[in-house]
Amino acid sequence: MSRIEYAYSKTMWHRWAAIAEKFPEKEAIVHWVAGEEPIRWTYKNLIETANNFSVKLYEQGIRAKDVCAIIMKHNPYFYPMYMGIVGIGAIPSVLAFPNPRLHPDKFKQGLSGMTKYSGLDVIITQIDLESTLKPFVESGESTIKQILFPLEWDLNNSSVDSFEKAREIRENIKPTDSFLLQHSSGTTGLQKPVVLSHQALLDHVTQYGTALELDDSDKVVSWLPLYHDMGLIGAFQLPLASGITSIQIDTFEWILAPNLLFEAASDENATMCWLPNFAYNLMADKIPEDEIAGNDLSNFRMIINASEPIRSESHRKFTERFSKYNLKPNVLSTLYGMAEVTLALSQNPPNKPISELIVDRQKLAEGKLQLADNSTKVKRVCVSSGILIPDTELKIVDENRNELDGNSVGEIAVKSISLFDGYKNNPEKTKEVLFDGWYYSGDIGFVYQNEIYVIGRKKDIIIFAGKNIYPEDIEDVINQVPNIIQGRVVAFGEENEELGTEVISIVAETNLTSGQEFHKLKLEIIKAGMSIDVNIYNVYLVPPRWLIKSSSGKPARKTNKERILAGNDKTIWFEKRN
Amino acid sequence: MISERLHKIICSTLGLQEDEVEIKDDTLANQVPGWDSLNHVNVITAIEKDFAVRFKSIEVLKCKNVGDLQKLVDSKINK
Repeated sequence: MSRIEYAYSKTMWHRWAAIAEKFPEKEAIVHWVAGEEPIRWTYKNLIETANNFSVKLYEQGIRAKDVCAIIMKHNPYFYPMYMGIVGIGAIPSVLAFPNPRLHPDKFKQGLSGMTKYSGLDVIITQIDLESTLKPFVESGESTIKQILFPLEWDLNNSSVDSFEKAREIRENIKPTDSFLLQHSSGTTGLQKPVVLSHQALLDHVTQYGTALELDDSDKVVSWLPLYHDMGLIGAFQLPLASGITSIQIDTFEWILAPNLLFEAASDENATMCWLPNFAYNLMADKIPEDEIAGNDLSNFRMIINASEPIRSESHRKFTERFSKYNLKPNVLSTLYGMAEVTLALSQNPPNKPISELIVDRQKLAEGKLQLADNSTKVKRVCVSSGILIPDTELKIVDENRNELDGNSVGEIAVKSISLFDGYKNNPEKTKEVLFDGWYYSGDIGFVYQNEIYVIGRKKDIIIFAGKNIYPEDIEDVINQVPNIIQGRVVAFGEENEELGTEVISIVAETNLTSGQEFHKLKLEIIKAGMSIDVNIYNVYLVPPRWLIKSSSGKPARKTNKERILAGNDKTIWFEKRN
Repeated sequence: MISERLHKIICSTLGLQEDEVEIKDDTLANQVPGWDSLNHVNVITAIEKDFAVRFKSIEVLKCKNVGDLQKLVDSKINK
């Protein structure tokens, strides 16, 4: 067992190739499918297959700098395909495979919106989506020029010339060239494309791998979707470029059978995983005892919570439930980061208990950090997101971006060696958040004894089960539902302690008056949410002119949310979920 | 065919009225309002409780639609 040492590599491909040469038979990726024998990629097999994909992609007309969207279900060929795109200097971008509930028009609309900024050139997908996507691509409504189905290809019939050409292209890739494109947040057209260079990724792997004290016996297990930065960078790129193994589970299978994570971890001796907070509650509450019996969690050295606000109660539940399966003390850890810095900014060090502070909630709301004492009326537990990883900086700023002193609460601004250069094709948005080398995150937090605490967000973004959702996206679609008064809808995130995440709530004005009509309208609102693949949990219906407007003339989300949650207004219609 | 009993349990768990949702053999869970991935476990638990049966996660995972779920219930109660 020895600590990973990161040698210089010119590009990510060169890093993968160097690892494959040094450890050809080491497992790079274990592709896990419930109830089946896992498919195992060694570093050698993986890079050879990736090279075959590069050559085929070249033969299909893919060129350096083409942005290639991959829309694919859990498939063992995803990994070499992704690497094959990189291997000819093109830029992979993973998009979510459309859930069957997502209306095909909304899916196409989302893709169309995304192409505006991301500039997608090619869609790489599987044959199931041909009938949905082909007419859209052929209509010329977007930047997409081509749609490819690589799972149908014979990888063994490329010409020698094509191999030589692909190799030549690869050798001309520079460290500063784009490596990948990932989307920072949002649901449809509002997603922000972040492009990261080979250098940024290599730097990040070194800085984050060092902070995690990765060693050659580490193995990452993950069910995280690969269109999300935590899945893509944390569970796929970081292990692959560190020469360690990752075990990849299907997201959809895990959510239906959460014990799969422990089963895979136990069978494969996994040591690390990343989870959003809701997963701690889901696993602690829903894994049946008879299914987890026999699993051994003693190999885990870090289970890292990130992607949504970290809740102390979720950690407590998880530890209480799973300690008897040999979960070591201090295994739980935390991370704070964002796609704009590649993934991580701060990390709780290995083996260190997570710090928690009990503070005065009222003072916190006023922008001051004050530890709670006996006289404190309302307290709040804040969970630390650890210390800065190497080559990063952080400051807390006020509304005018002036740096605040040590005991202040404010917006978190960050610098990192692996910071992005800006959102693709979106200079206005870039200008809003990137200034003088600092990225202004929109997150609110404070620093106490060198540890970072994130307590909220400046904007109204909703984080449901680790996924960032803009309320505007939901409001737009609910506004189209008959019997809703146009423009009189507010969407907001509502804390759900049982699930350990925010759920999506809607408050909408209507002229309807009877309980039966309200119930039908609620159903239509839920269906409208389903059409954009958003799960609406709570529907509050209110009479005309109930919603309070902000100075801009739009219903004010925060104020109206507070009125709803106060729960003392008899004019609100609400049906509690079972 | 989906039994009246299964239809009733699903609707009751999701807070739906029985006459407002049609559930057929080929209906997918995520086509039923409110039957999302986080709520799935609640639906399954309610079915297990009502029929006094126990499913393994892997058995539920292999159900592609409500018709498969009905078959799974039938196979358990006919044991």
